[in-house]
Amino acid sequence: MAVCVAVIGKDNSPLYIGGIGNDTSTDNELSRQWLVHTALDALEERLATTNSNNATASANAARTDLRDLYLGLLYSTDTHKIYGYVTNTKIKLVLVTSSTSPSGSNIRDAEVRTALRRLHALYADAICNPFHLPGDQIISQKFDRQVKSLMVNNV
Amino acid sequence: MATQPSDNTEFPPDIILKPLALIGLSGLDTVNNAIHKTIWDAFSNNRRPDRASVRFKLLNNTFEFPVVKPKRNSYEWYIPKGILKKNWIQKRVSLIPALVVIFYDMEWNDPQWNEKIIECASRVQSIRAAVEGHATRVAVVVVQSGLSPPPSEYMLGAERAQALCSACEIQSKSLFVLPHSDHLMGYIIRLENAFYDIAQNYYHHETKNIKQHRDHLNKTTHHYLFVRHQFKLGFLNELKQDLSTAHKHYMHAYNNLLETRQVDTNIHEIRTVAGYINYKLCKLLFALNLARDAIAQLKSHIERYKNRIGPTELLFEHYAWIARQYSAFGELFDEAIRVGLPGIQSQHPGFYYQHAAQFTVKRRQAMRSVCCEAQQYPPPPDPMEGIVEFYGQRPWRPGRLSADPHDPQKEQAAILALQYNERVFNHSAVIISFLGSAISQFKTFHSPRMRKQLVVEMANEYYYCADYGKALTLLSHMLWDYRKEKWWFLASHVLNRALQCAYLSAKIHDYIQLSIEALSKNIQVPNNDKDRIFRNIISVLNLNVPAPEHDLPASSQGKALELWGMAIDKEPHIVTIDMVNIASFLEIKTKFKQQKYRMDELIEIEIFARLTYNTILEIKTAILTISSNTETIEIPITDNDNSIIKLEGCSVKKFLCKFKTNSHDNGSELSIKNVSFILDSDKKRKIIMNFKIEDNKSLPIIHPELLHFILSPKNDYEFDCIVPLTTTFITSRECRLSIGIDNAVPALQGEWFPTTFTVTNNEDSLVYDMTIVLSLLSSPDNANPETVTELSFKQGEPQSPPLKLLIGNVNKASTYSNKFYLKTNRTATATVQIKVSYNIDLNETPKLECVKDFTTKISVIKPFEVSTNFVTMNFKPVSKCFVDDPFIVMPQIKILSPWDLLILDTELETVDCFKYADDKKPPSCISNLQVAEKNIASDAICIQAKYKPKDLPTRVGLYNIRWRRKTNTDGSIVMSSTALSGITIDDCPISIEVNYPEVVDLQTSVPLKCTLIGNTNTTIRLNLSVEGTDAYMFSGYKKFSVTVPPKDKVELCYNIHPLVAGNTVPPRIKATVLGENSRQEVIKEMFEKIFPQNIFVMPKYNK
Repeated sequence: MAVCVAVIGKDNSPLYIGGIGNDTSTDNELSRQWLVHTALDALEERLATTNSNNATASANAARTDLRDLYLGLLYSTDTHKIYGYVTNTKIKLVLVTSSTSPSGSNIRDAEVRTALRRLHALYADAICNPFHLPGDQIISQKFDRQVKSLMVNNV
Repeated sequence: MATQPSDNTEFPPDIILKPLALIGLSGLDTVNNAIHKTIWDAFSNNRRPDRASVRFKLLNNTFEFPVVKPKRNSYEWYIPKGILKKNWIQKRVSLIPALVVIFYDMEWNDPQWNEKIIECASRVQSIRAAVEGHATRVAVVVVQSGLSPPPSEYMLGAERAQALCSACEIQSKSLFVLPHSDHLMGYIIRLENAFYDIAQNYYHHETKNIKQHRDHLNKTTHHYLFVRHQFKLGFLNELKQDLSTAHKHYMHAYNNLLETRQVDTNIHEIRTVAGYINYKLCKLLFALNLARDAIAQLKSHIERYKNRIGPTELLFEHYAWIARQYSAFGELFDEAIRVGLPGIQSQHPGFYYQHAAQFTVKRRQAMRSVCCEAQQYPPPPDPMEGIVEFYGQRPWRPGRLSADPHDPQKEQAAILALQYNERVFNHSAVIISFLGSAISQFKTFHSPRMRKQLVVEMANEYYYCADYGKALTLLSHMLWDYRKEKWWFLASHVLNRALQCAYLSAKIHDYIQLSIEALSKNIQVPNNDKDRIFRNIISVLNLNVPAPEHDLPASSQGKALELWGMAIDKEPHIVTIDMVNIASFLEIKTKFKQQKYRMDELIEIEIFARLTYNTILEIKTAILTISSNTETIEIPITDNDNSIIKLEGCSVKKFLCKFKTNSHDNGSELSIKNVSFILDSDKKRKIIMNFKIEDNKSLPIIHPELLHFILSPKNDYEFDCIVPLTTTFITSRECRLSIGIDNAVPALQGEWFPTTFTVTNNEDSLVYDMTIVLSLLSSPDNANPETVTELSFKQGEPQSPPLKLLIGNVNKASTYSNKFYLKTNRTATATVQIKVSYNIDLNETPKLECVKDFTTKISVIKPFEVSTNFVTMNFKPVSKCFVDDPFIVMPQIKILSPWDLLILDTELETVDCFKYADDKKPPSCISNLQVAEKNIASDAICIQAKYKPKDLPTRVGLYNIRWRRKTNTDGSIVMSSTALSGITIDDCPISIEVNYPEVVDLQTSVPLKCTLIGNTNTTIRLNLSVEGTDAYMFSGYKKFSVTVPPKDKVELCYNIHPLVAGNTVPPRIKATVLGENSRQEVIKEMFEKIFPQNIFVMPKYNK
């Protein structure tokens, strides 16, 4: 199962970081944030390489639009696997699974892809809220609830 | 860290160094013999990677080879005491050469040949005796001057070489000749390769020896030997540079080791050896360019040994060992990258250094849990003393294999000793060095954030080892990045640690800055204890020691208090904080009320301050800094004239600053540079909070329309909606002068057109230093007006633009008037700009400069149009003239001007090929003629062609008309010139003059003389015939031929007698040229033209 999901803005500031786990202590939150934050390195590297590839074949502008938003496994540590997803507006979605738990280590790529797509949809719903200011952190109980259930049930 | 006891986990150099085939060189006297020195240097210096993998060792006479152990015939009763002997590698790489080379100086034709050969043979013998028992090869190099030819071409040489071989009992391929004269390096490299071949041969032979042992071994007691032999095979193959075979044997050794029974007493030995073999395996895999396999090998290695913890009292040793595996692998990986292996972001040495650091942290944790009791080193005898023969064995029980400790007391003391050593070990230093290596790798492989995390970890280590200054430096740099990316949770973590460091090192500036930032709403502090932090700021301001931070190490607290006691009333007294770069509890927005100000207006700036932390902040002084092009001014900010400003928490306060512009600022930009709020407690210390106002670009864009929906306090909403305006433009004061223009447009092309302008002072006071500048403005239909238009204040005297007029004072409500003239040669609208500038004294600002631009447009038209007609002397239109044949030019002047004009005079300036038909210039027909619009004035000038030019003249000449406006009696006269169109000129070989009268009386004879003049240098013969008519009688030749001599004339005389009255056709002469036909047409035309078509005959008046 996913232990953490994060929504990161186009300027790389965190918009939402949600995690489930028995432990909600500061240390846990800290390690979770480090994990997501460092995942940005791999994410940015991916984006930079895809962009430069596209730049060489800029004629295929249509292909850029069709670029798969799901970036796949960004990197894995001894304990976690980190997957990435980037929307067309450069909003980054990060999903972290635990590679120590049996449900997390045997996860299939397609499942992660679906989960991140659903997260994208949830995010889109959340920012459609007229009371939400674009670029601000997402503070929404509903979004939080939905994301948590996504983490538990789907992945 | 100098006192740091050595970490036992480090790999011995024997394992780390790359094995090179050892070759001993004997018989070289490098101290006394220059040639020998050169040879030795050539072998040993500048060993580039492309040279053979050998190591040369200079053997002197006293060198002793290791004693050969007696060869074992049976292993049946042999029980090995350990896995790998510590001295075996050492022996192989530096003591037992694969080959000993004996150098001997000898020429083939040496006179003492016999003595020499005996001496050489004895040297070889002595070396043979020294290496007795080893299979070391022997070779002889004969050092020669290189003057004698090689033995193959030299019978004596070949013979003696043969003799030498047999004397020394060596094969002929072990004998080498080294000429030392030229190309020494080339010879040396060839020798080196030959030696290398022999060495490889030797090592191959050695491996065979070891393989033979295997048959004697059994798995029950000789498990260690399986490992040892395979390791030796691997190492020998490495010496032989056969890397893949070496890898195969090491792999066998590794697998054999895995099968070895493991107990608490041998766990240290097993994992030590496993670590060495694994290191060798990874190193070879990298060398074989199999980086993936190397990584996989390390992973499986760690996986296998991860759970082989060993005795729990020595748990830290296990983690130390894992950390070393990782760091050693990191070094191997790093080295491989340096020689060309590409690293990627997800796989590079940094990760292994990071793991090494992590396991060192675990090691420290293990130390903390198991070493609490190890307060002091055990009393002597020191259990750590003792020589260990095998890698990884314990000095207090060397060579013992049994699983149970034979001396529990000694064992206990040894564990205590190890634990004590671990307690005093500086883990932080090791962690920091691992992290340092990892950080540089992560930086190289594009992982800035990973690097940041490691830097924070490094700072934590510095914190743990009480190096607060270094920790603070690292943390403040990292804080910047987290703040910039708005990872506030991480920023809070970093900031809190940094604040602790700042407190512990009593760095006032950092302490204040971090405290201020800690009060920001974005930062979370432990226990949400922001009040304490705020009180601390105020304490420092009042020169009091602040209260300590949370969770400080108890050992450092006393020291910190001491430091604060010393620092609190010392420098820095003025603490300047750059508030824009930090998240803080005070936010400032500034705004010019208008985007533009006029010079006479008061500039107003609104400053909004929001205090997000719930307190009351008393600001002693607040200063606004404004800069213009020329200067920077500081304006105090006051709160309704109260210089002390009180800011209340969670509210927005607005201040208004007003000031006057400086006279230099006209036309320039003013910008807000800085707002400073100064906290001051009337003690020595001040805290200056500087808000540098940057360009709008860097600020986040504010969308007030989006903020409407946000649920926030009204104050916040208003503050958030304020769009800062940090620059304003200063324009000049509005001018209250008016201008009147008086002129008679349209102007006529070419005339000096007068315009009167009148400036009226509508200001409330006198204006002075008034200047008027006239200039021409370009317009779309008149792009370069200066080229065709002239301006002047005096009629007829052009002045170069712009025209300046210094006027001086103009009193209130009075006027100034002047007139300028404009002359243009183009019929387009001319735009004249009249720029009036002056100074005025107003109440607030003396000598205020005002400027106003007026423009006036003057349209220009042509006064008239000239067209031309050409007629003959009898006013018949012609399209062609003949040389010397006069005709009349009739210019027609069509008046276009709406104003009446007076044409004073006209004249025609003919071009070269024309001249006046009269001797002198005739007076104009239309001089002093007054004309009005749409009139047409016709002139007539009689001219004739002088010769026929090569090209047709485009014009007859310039027609000059001198004219002026009728009303403008005193004005200057304008001369307009028009080119009159050209006419075809032809020449005729003869010219004819006939005195035909226009009118004759009936019945009256008229003599008619016709003169033919030859114009050419040849005679012209003409056939003439008179064409008679019924209306006339005539006398004279009717048909005859005549010869016109060149440049002479022939006269023909006739009488004609008209018979009828009225318009009659007179008799006419027609001519044809005899002979030459080309002139026929011209002459015919000439005659046709010259003789009239009709003559009016007057009837006779009968009385």
